[in-house]
This record gives sequence, C-alpha cells and structure tokens, in this order.
Amino acid sequence: MQTDSSAVPPNHDHRKQEPEITLRPFDLSDVGAFMTWASDPRVTRFQRRGPCTSEEDARRYLTDHVLPHPWYRAICVDGSPVGSINAKPGQGEERFKASIAYRLAYQHWGRGIATAALRAAVSSLLEEWPHLERLEAIAEVENPASQRVLEKAGFLREGPLRKYVMLRGKSRDVVMYSLLATGPKLR
Amino acid sequence: MDQHMGVASKEEEDREEKRTVPEITLRPFTLSDVDGFMTWATDDRVMRFSRRPTCTTKDECLTHMKDLIMPHPWCRAICIEDDGRPVGLVSVTPAPGADVHRASIGFGVAYDYWGRGIATAAVKKAASAVFEEWPLLERLDAIAEVNNTASRRVLEKAGFQREAVLKSYLVLRGESMDMVMYCLLSADSMVR
Repeated sequence: MQTDSSAVPPNHDHRKQEPEITLRPFDLSDVGAFMTWASDPRVTRFQRRGPCTSEEDARRYLTDHVLPHPWYRAICVDGSPVGSINAKPGQGEERFKASIAYRLAYQHWGRGIATAALRAAVSSLLEEWPHLERLEAIAEVENPASQRVLEKAGFLREGPLRKYVMLRGKSRDVVMYSLLATGPKLR
Repeated sequence: MDQHMGVASKEEEDREEKRTVPEITLRPFTLSDVDGFMTWATDDRVMRFSRRPTCTTKDECLTHMKDLIMPHPWCRAICIEDDGRPVGLVSVTPAPGADVHRASIGFGVAYDYWGRGIATAAVKKAASAVFEEWPLLERLDAIAEVNNTASRRVLEKAGFQREAVLKSYLVLRGESMDMVMYCLLSADSMVR
C-alpha cells in the first residue's frame, strides 16, 4: 500500500497542489449545479440509480432525499458546487459506523478534489459524531479510479466482496474500504 | 462397519467420529422448545460471540423467542436424529433494502454438542434450503469474530470462502470487534 500523502510531504509545494475545497449543505437553488453531475452518465455509471433526466427530477431528489438526509454536503471549489459527498450512519447498535459516498462533475476529475473532499468529510464527521468508530466506503471492482481516491484519502482496502451490492439491476463485486477513528491522524 | 483388527487406537476412533456425518434435521421453533433453547442461550461459552446478550432466566428466553425467533424470516432449530429436542439454531437473514440477492447466516450449538460436525451440517443444510427457497439469492455471507476459531472453521468446512477482515465492524459486548467476512455464492455452492 502506498504511503499516505498526509504524512511529511516530500517538498514544500506539495500542499499547494491540493485544491481548496469547502463543504456546505445543499439548498434548492443548487439544482442547476446538481444537474451537472447528476445527469451525466459518466458520473452515474457506478451509482445505484441512473442519471437524473430533468430539472424536475433533480429538484424532487433534492427535496425528498438530499435535504432531509442526516449528512449530505456540496463539494465546492471557489464557492461553487462541483459534486456531493454524503455519510449514512448505521441504525441502532450500528450507529458507531457510517458509510460514505461521493460524486464529482466530470470536468473536475483528476485534480484531487474528491480526495480533498473525503479528507474534509472524514475530519468533520469524526468531530460531529464522537461515537463514530468506523467509516466505510465501497468502490466497484471495475472502478479503479474511485479505489485510488479512497486510498489517497487514507482509507484501508479490506478486500473484495463478491456480488455484494445490487446496482443497476445486477449484483456487483465491490471492494470494501474503511477508516477507523482510532487510526493515524489525518491532516 | 468397524473392522475388528484388535483394539483401535484413540486417534483412529477420533478420525472415525469426525468422518461420521451427523444426521440433523432443521425445523421451525415453537415456544415449547424453550428448554432446549435455554441450553445454549444461557451459556456464555456459546453466547460470548453473539450480538444477543446471554439470557439468565427462562422468562428472558421466552421473550427472546417471542420477539426475535418466532417472527424471524428464516430461523430453524437444529435437531439430531435420536431426539426431537433442539441442540442449536441456524438462521438466515435477508439483507436490507434493494439487496434482495444477499442474506447472512448465523448459528449456535449447545456446548455439549460441539465437536461433532453438527454446526457444519446445519449450515450446509440451511444454505442448500435457502438457495432453493429464494431463487433471487446469489450471495450468502457470514461474519465471525477474528478470534472465534470454532465458528470460522465451521464456515470453512461448510465451503464458505474467506473474503476480508473488516475492522471494528461490529460492537459485541460493548467493544468494537474485527470480523472476518465469509461468503458462499449460489454459483459455487457445494450443494449444487
């Protein structure tokens, strides 16, 4: 496993390369930005649900799912939403763990934004939910880009789980990743 | 049949015992099974790796049976051929939400009946039954605590494949534990 880049950086410029991102809750006025990634099959390719087909559809999703969600944030670059990240806590005796998912507008891929957003989300979640011990995320076996993002963000690869999740009508092989509250501190 | 070539050694007898596959049957529980249920549900040696607390009284056992066992989607008493009384339990719980293709198996056997292959036989029989009864089922999985070598061996002998160690995956007795995930796919189920 490669060295976590949050350890001592090899050079002073290392940090300058990571984009400045902020996380904030969504509101309905974000529907236009939301459509940018939610309607893009390149982004929704590895999601449970397919692309949003209309602004009406996106608005409904924001109202019914995003706004009432326990933890759903817009990933913003220079104040503009370019993606989303959310954490779903476990119920009852499983509330010590939460699962994270994210998506990013296609034109912003390859700049470290998802990695930065994950780090920021993990930091916030560990602070907001002090009883949290385990954060987990899955990436489909056929989605190495997302696997790399999780690894760069400090998640530990636990292993492939065969036919674990039903996505887009078929059972899929996924890789399970975890990050423990008691693990190495993230900067 | 035994061949009488003088006195069999203890090792040979042990091997013979292990080779004998126990005849077990699986059937639904009734509340009148509470006495059998108590033999493992009140025993820390069996319950220490369970998510459920060890029961201490018959009333607690009855409550547990009424609230959790009777309404369960698939829970069976493990009975051995010479006695109608259950010696253990095996249950298969469907995964939540959209994952209709997946279910998890759990089991427990009374301590006095350990070492006879009963749990292994029950898990195999349960796997076979649910793959048959639930045509959409593709994946049967099970988690066992890293140090629960007895249960892990049962799963391995029943043909489950070890997939991953999931850290701090479950809270057992107030402590978060590392669990090993095992899986049996309908595609490579031994019973097909």
